[in-house]
Amino acid sequence: MALNTGKILRVDLSKGKVRTETIPEKIATDFVGGRGYGVRYLYDEVKPGIDPLGADNKLLMLNGPLAGTTAQAVSRWMTCTLSPLTGTFTRSVCGADFGAWLKFCGYEMIILEGKAGKPSYLHLTPEGCKLLDASEIWGEDTKITQEWLVRKHGKNTRAACIGPAGEKLVKYAAVVSDRRTAGRGGTGAVMGSKNLKAVAITASRKLFLADPAAYEELAKEQVKTILANAAFQNHKEWGTTTTQDITNAIGIYPVRNFRYGQLVDYKPVLGAEYRKMRVGDIGCYSCAARCGKVHTVPSGVYAGAHSEGPEYESIWAFTGPIESADINASVAADQLCDDLGLDTISTGNTIGFAYELYEKGLLKKSDTDGLELIYGETAPMIALIKKIAYREGIGDLLALGTKRLAEKIGRGSDVYAIHVKGMELPAYEPRGAKSQGYNYATASVGASHCYGYAAQDIFGAPFPHPTDRFDEGNADIVIYNQDETAWHECGVACAFSGGWGWMPLFGKLVTAARGISAYSDAELNTAGDRLFNLERAFNLREGFGRKDDFLPSRIRTEPLHTRKAKGEGQMVGHNDAFLDKYYELRGWTKEGIPTAKKLKELGLGFALKDTAGKKK
Amino acid sequence: MSVAVHIPPSLQALTGDVNEVIVTGDTVGGCLRELVRLYPQLRGKLFTAKGKLLKGINIFINRVNVFPDALTKPVSTGDVVHVAYTVLGG
Repeated sequence: MALNTGKILRVDLSKGKVRTETIPEKIATDFVGGRGYGVRYLYDEVKPGIDPLGADNKLLMLNGPLAGTTAQAVSRWMTCTLSPLTGTFTRSVCGADFGAWLKFCGYEMIILEGKAGKPSYLHLTPEGCKLLDASEIWGEDTKITQEWLVRKHGKNTRAACIGPAGEKLVKYAAVVSDRRTAGRGGTGAVMGSKNLKAVAITASRKLFLADPAAYEELAKEQVKTILANAAFQNHKEWGTTTTQDITNAIGIYPVRNFRYGQLVDYKPVLGAEYRKMRVGDIGCYSCAARCGKVHTVPSGVYAGAHSEGPEYESIWAFTGPIESADINASVAADQLCDDLGLDTISTGNTIGFAYELYEKGLLKKSDTDGLELIYGETAPMIALIKKIAYREGIGDLLALGTKRLAEKIGRGSDVYAIHVKGMELPAYEPRGAKSQGYNYATASVGASHCYGYAAQDIFGAPFPHPTDRFDEGNADIVIYNQDETAWHECGVACAFSGGWGWMPLFGKLVTAARGISAYSDAELNTAGDRLFNLERAFNLREGFGRKDDFLPSRIRTEPLHTRKAKGEGQMVGHNDAFLDKYYELRGWTKEGIPTAKKLKELGLGFALKDTAGKKK
Repeated sequence: MSVAVHIPPSLQALTGDVNEVIVTGDTVGGCLRELVRLYPQLRGKLFTAKGKLLKGINIFINRVNVFPDALTKPVSTGDVVHVAYTVLGG
């Protein structure tokens, strides 16, 4: 078989120069693709201590080794960069068609470096690539921008773009493709800092497979496996619009800025209620699940609001933090965030923080442009979303995220800022799902729910030993979930598809696609461990360490109130003890630094210079 | 056959917060019927009126997903059955 390790498109936006590079076989083998390539290249190319929004930062767009093929749920893509929100390595995963289109041009990664002299967009075809003037679309929302690009370059064009929030450098601005979002970590702000409005790709389907016949057989087997899987069938029917049914029932739906674990009355936000508003389904390239459930608000104040979503996290983001059960407002807020290019999770969490500051008198009406931030009121939330995206009035402060907002306001407000490493917590209450919580604490990117999703805590997924969601000692579960996620993301495989029973085929599919030796499950787990450790080394180099692996003080010092659910009074009380156990199992020192032995075992000896002798 | 059945968090309110129940049965269906005999409120959460497994419930025997026809799958003494939700995240 021919070796087929993928190509890189490197774009120097400052000089307007473009070149194509191949990915060395050693990197392809050890890091597989996607997030693996992302951290490997960022580690080499982003110098420590730079400004994430300066020209020295690099923004990577990556698909996976199987993108654009008939295999299901593997055509997603991601952004990787030094995060302006957290200052850590970050990655943010997105769906739709863009990942497949990038592969049709023969690429597995775009490296965007420097800064364009004026608002620009990149237009890529299989024949080449041009940096073009974006002045006509600068300032436009993501929907108008993408429509403009399709009119300009034809219907076989797909784009990833930013909205006003990215242009205005909102710390949690997103990159949007179709109606899917690379939301977390502020990668949209990095794109905006480079004066880059969009990357548009015009292409037709083309495959780059080392062994097409073997690949197609495996892909057929994958489809057969998936179609016969219960989790796939449920996902196809509901997407994630029923998760709040369960998280409310078990008291882990964060309410009023993480004070309660359940809405007083959550019946209005049940999945069945969203089902009544559903008007369609949208899927990513080559995925039969079509899990993007499209909703239109039929009547009332928000009549006509229309969004692919909200999915679970966004349902929560626009209900829980402000204690509202208005599903119409949640659809309107979701649409706004997608249009304006904002991460829904950080937006909702930051707004919930602002409501609490208002309740506590730390923000007054004169600070909020006259808005009264009263729990249950959705109109101020909608107004704030717009203000954040355009950085108008109070929105200019909220655009900084909870950590920096607390630093600006002072007066003890930091105890209400619910973040890890600057990234706002998502829709699972750590005090009632502690392995999920400790994943937030230790994830490379800050508080990401999907960096090591604890389905054991939330849905009763099996693990080799009995589990208890209130147990703080399950470092092995956290590591298992994080490493499994890491290698799945090397393929940029859909996180949901990890439960569809097909993952044992992943290594074989990569082999047939690439022509490199087959990956065993053990090797793939090692790849996950490898890239997680390199992310740790990257973050250590940026000054992060044990001191940053803690959940917010509210989670550690205030009892959770679950209303009618189990878990009343729970706290996370053993963060230090957890870290001791977690670091030991990871092969890290007490300070959370990978040992020389560990790095060498993983083939990461080159990172020793950045970790040896570190005291964090 | 003596089998441990793990109850998902959202159903533990119906088992008095017990998360593992030891039951006897030759198949998954037999074990779950025994479970329902012990905790009758679980019936509507696990089974349709016709006795089929509800959509959205996933069954694992020793961590292996046994969909479809989970109820007919045989079990042996010492097996661990996980009842889980098929929803995965958001």
